[in-house]
Amino acid sequence: MTAQFAKAEKTSEAVGNGFAIQVSGLTKVYPGGTKAVDAVSFDVKEGEVFGLLGPNGAGKTTTIKIITTLAKPTSGSVSVFGMDALRMPEQVRQMLGFVPQAISVDGDLTGYENLLIFAKLFFVDREQRKKRISEALDYFGLTDRADDLVKHYSGGMMRRLEIAQALVNRPRLLFLDEPSIGLDPYSRMQVIRQIRDLNRNFRTTIFVTTHDMTEADELCDRLAIMNLGKIAASGSPMELKRSVGGDVLTVTVSGPLPDSVPKDLGTLVSADGGKVKILTDDGEKAIPKVTDYLEGKGATVVSVSLSRPTLDDVFMKYAMADLRDGSFRDTRSARRSISRHGR
Amino acid sequence: MTYPQRALGSALTIAEMEARKIRHDSTELWMRTVQPALWLLIFGEVFNNIRSLPIPGGFSYIQYIAPGVLAQSVLFVAIFYGITIVWERDVGLLTKLLSTPSPRLAIVVGKALAAGVRGIFQGVMIFALSLIIGVNLRFDPLDVAGVFLVVVLFAMCFASLSMTLASFLKTRDRMMGIGQAITIPLFFGSNAIYPISLMPGWLQAVSAFNPLTYVVDAMRSMLLTGDYSGLPTDILALLLSTALFIACASVVLKRLIE
Ligand SMILES: Nc1ncnc2c1ncn2[C@@H]1O[C@H](COP(=O)(O)OP(=O)(O)OP(=O)(O)O)[C@@H](O)[C@H]1O
Ligand SMILES: [Mg+2]
Repeated sequence: MTAQFAKAEKTSEAVGNGFAIQVSGLTKVYPGGTKAVDAVSFDVKEGEVFGLLGPNGAGKTTTIKIITTLAKPTSGSVSVFGMDALRMPEQVRQMLGFVPQAISVDGDLTGYENLLIFAKLFFVDREQRKKRISEALDYFGLTDRADDLVKHYSGGMMRRLEIAQALVNRPRLLFLDEPSIGLDPYSRMQVIRQIRDLNRNFRTTIFVTTHDMTEADELCDRLAIMNLGKIAASGSPMELKRSVGGDVLTVTVSGPLPDSVPKDLGTLVSADGGKVKILTDDGEKAIPKVTDYLEGKGATVVSVSLSRPTLDDVFMKYAMADLRDGSFRDTRSARRSISRHGR
Repeated sequence: MTYPQRALGSALTIAEMEARKIRHDSTELWMRTVQPALWLLIFGEVFNNIRSLPIPGGFSYIQYIAPGVLAQSVLFVAIFYGITIVWERDVGLLTKLLSTPSPRLAIVVGKALAAGVRGIFQGVMIFALSLIIGVNLRFDPLDVAGVFLVVVLFAMCFASLSMTLASFLKTRDRMMGIGQAITIPLFFGSNAIYPISLMPGWLQAVSAFNPLTYVVDAMRSMLLTGDYSGLPTDILALLLSTALFIACASVVLKRLIE
């Protein structure tokens, strides 16, 4: 065991295949029979900020748990900086930090103690420990409250403390499972900035999940959209938006909303609250056709507007497809640089 | 750092974490001394007047039960650790701990050591009370050290057992239930508050397999009789079961977060 550990440590310094994470054919079936992750494969490059997006229950947290060695996959392989996560879990954990979806700092300890204990558990050198802790407290604006019990902190302070742990432990790879949930817009912005700083200053590879598309757009170099345990699309935010292509037509109507639209009109993204959103190749040409179609179904068109697709539209297109009738699947061909997986 | 160094370091850090929590809020620790105090002050004093109990060695009843009460209070503290770990799972702390590089074994040993620290506090309080109310025990330094060693081992043993059970039962309610279901029979089916010779035959047979019987026997030999002949067996039995339960808990602990 000892020898193996020493060897692994050396190789961990030496691996330079450029990948922080390589996942291949990953499948997880929970004892109840839920297939949470279904033959997923993807890579995360060293030094990048990678976002995993997807609706509730897509399998994001399960994927993180497997890569962080907290859960065993049913099948498939995971390697972290070239090291097999299934065979060397402790060595792999030495290189990663994890900020779970639920806040998990220890309320019965002070902020300082939370940082101290976890620094010790990550074997941070005694000399470096003190300096890094006071720097981290300072950077996250927690110095004044360092000696207060964390249970008296606000939710935002707890989140910041949790990310501060990463700053003290300096993992090569940091997992953040919905880091900005429950934060006000200001704290959210701060947290995003701090995550980006970690990435820039220490070349920490970041793996983040989120439901917030604006955040994903700002933060991530590359994204993957997961749905029903599979990766539906991946690429840079730019590429993904381009892949959706064309224009988003937003029609405000009164009267019945459609469940679907004929293919030659485009793809129905959403229809609720009196607004119908349709993705089309050429928005201007589609306006009269869509108006005719909707009025033919008994609705009255109040107004029409055109916009470029946002990441929200990308999300809707790939992630919500299976919640509807599957009509999105074959609508677009212009996917250019997008790699599609699974299915 | 070698593997054993890492494991030991992590275990001590986990124990330190618990110790720091106790320092911030020791209310629970003090509350847990109430029950043993009542056993000595009320039960012990009342039964002290019944001279017909066949207590070996001519000791008074209150002398006889003091080691038993200590063992029982350590048992109660230790069995509580399964509930703590389920609670830590519920608030996400366990996930965080398990995502550190610490070996699972170190996490279990650390928690078990913390149970030992709480056990020592119980010991100190019960000794203090015994001195105050004039219960005559042999306070020889080596014997006291021996008793504390047994206390720590015993606490580690049952804290690990409790964490093992928690990994299968997974909820606080069930752990509360099983805690009661284990501690009460163990207590009354042991030599803690009456000699085995008073028990019906079948219960005597059962008590021979009761770890509490060995722990009480070890404590009594050091605090009362000074007859160490049974001590090696007692300690060996305790060491083996502690090692067994720590190993079990390390293997199954992960089930809690799956
Ligand atoms: N411990 C478990 N036992 C059984 N099923 C589970 C367990 N954990 C998750 N699941 C199931 O696996 C699927 C994926 O869950 P997961 O938590 O990975 O989703 P997620 O993408 O993180 O969702 P969210 O955005 O809501 O956090 C869900 O159907 C969920 O019910
Ligand atoms: Mg999740």
